[in-house]
Amino acid sequence: MGEFAGFSMPLWYEGIIPEHLAVRNAVGVFDVTHMGRCLVEGKDALPFLNYVTTNNVRRLKDFQVQYTLFCNPSGGIKDDLTICRLSEEKFLLVYNASNREKDFNWLRENSRSFDVQLRDISDEAPMIAVQGPYAVKVLEKALKKDLATVRRFRGLLFKHEGREVLVTRTGYTGEDGFELILFDVPLEEPDPVLQLWNSMLEAGKEFGIKPCGLGARDSLRLEAGMCLYGNDITEETNPIEADLKFVVKLKKGDFIGRDAILKVLEEGIKRKRVGIEMVDKGIPRHGQAIWSDGEEIGFVTSGTYSPILRKGIGMGYVSIEYAKEGQDVYVAMKNRKAKAKVVRWPFYDESRYGWKRTTE
Amino acid sequence: MKVDGYEVREDLLYTREHEWAKIEPNGLVRIGITDYAQKMLHEIVYVSLPEVGAKAEHMKPLGTVESVKVASDVYAPVSGEVVEVNKKLEDAPELVNQDPYGEGWICVIRPSNLEEEKGKLLTPQQYAELLKELLG
Repeated sequence: MGEFAGFSMPLWYEGIIPEHLAVRNAVGVFDVTHMGRCLVEGKDALPFLNYVTTNNVRRLKDFQVQYTLFCNPSGGIKDDLTICRLSEEKFLLVYNASNREKDFNWLRENSRSFDVQLRDISDEAPMIAVQGPYAVKVLEKALKKDLATVRRFRGLLFKHEGREVLVTRTGYTGEDGFELILFDVPLEEPDPVLQLWNSMLEAGKEFGIKPCGLGARDSLRLEAGMCLYGNDITEETNPIEADLKFVVKLKKGDFIGRDAILKVLEEGIKRKRVGIEMVDKGIPRHGQAIWSDGEEIGFVTSGTYSPILRKGIGMGYVSIEYAKEGQDVYVAMKNRKAKAKVVRWPFYDESRYGWKRTTE
Repeated sequence: MKVDGYEVREDLLYTREHEWAKIEPNGLVRIGITDYAQKMLHEIVYVSLPEVGAKAEHMKPLGTVESVKVASDVYAPVSGEVVEVNKKLEDAPELVNQDPYGEGWICVIRPSNLEEEKGKLLTPQQYAELLKELLG
């Protein structure tokens, strides 16, 4: 067990590598109750959320999810999160555990001129994730529900054993999979979610399901190219240099950070978030310098061992001239500069792994 | 002997940083990391071996063992010269997890000051005490 955002959580149950491989090849289940969750309800829910996030909330249909960002007025990223529309006046936000207080307070401060009510449900709506090519089959068995026709980034709300559960086809692994939230289950009385967890393990037995800890959660999201707040994105990084422009919808109207982001676009970014794949042995680690042409040109923000590629991989920011696929770089590790190259994500072959895979 | 599931071999000497040292009949010293160390690191994916000929200094870093989550220095239990390194670890770093006292050996040092430095190392009993303290 290790400490993460103030919670005691397992880094692994069996091992990072077997759990990681289980998700890519079969199915894994994660306890993600540590994440922050809040409900935003009211007449002004939509305009409020469109003001405090970068993506366009108006595009959401009922039970549709979008990935988005909170930015500060300087265009720095306060957090990355998902928003699920439950109805025209009710939205569920899921954000990082480490930002539970920061995000909720910031939402509250900015909500004063909007007709909205905010409710932090983090401690009364446990959440688990089931990820991997067999996730659909496991959920079908465990929930007696056919989810095959639920599209990616869509979901369903239904009653399971007397409790409301929201199931969305989303995740933090790059694989097909679902995230489940059980409503009205206070953490002091966790039996319903414990039962749900056990039913996943039971239903998943024939598929080789493994419970997965934070270690595999990190290596999986990195292989998929997804950011970890605090490492790859912070209040000092803007969405353009973080390569997250796809969730910034400038035409939707005003939002916090919009002016600053426009300025960044006008001036051009000086650095960019890129993928790093090791050529020499070793694992890139947060904070290590990246070199090229005899100069320091950037730094590593995240690094791990990729069980699929069997080598070290990472993410970092490099000067814009070096932010091109195939660029040779060096990572300054202890006592040596290890050869690496700039690559696109996901790091794995998308025809063989990931939710877009075309092979069995 | 076992301390809470962690193996401590009785024919070795130890450091406070969880390295073991085996004084071989020919006077050379084989070193590695202990069962406790490999369990703490867990899945070892890379071992940075010292070069043959490299100078080893008592309790200074000699190499690194990296797991998925963390890189850990290997400290030289004795001063001297590295005369052999375990090349098998280049392609099979997991040997350190599987057999930390055997196949997972890291390197062999020709000691330059063994008589004095031997006394600075921990006996198996002292290392077992250290583990008991750590494990609380």
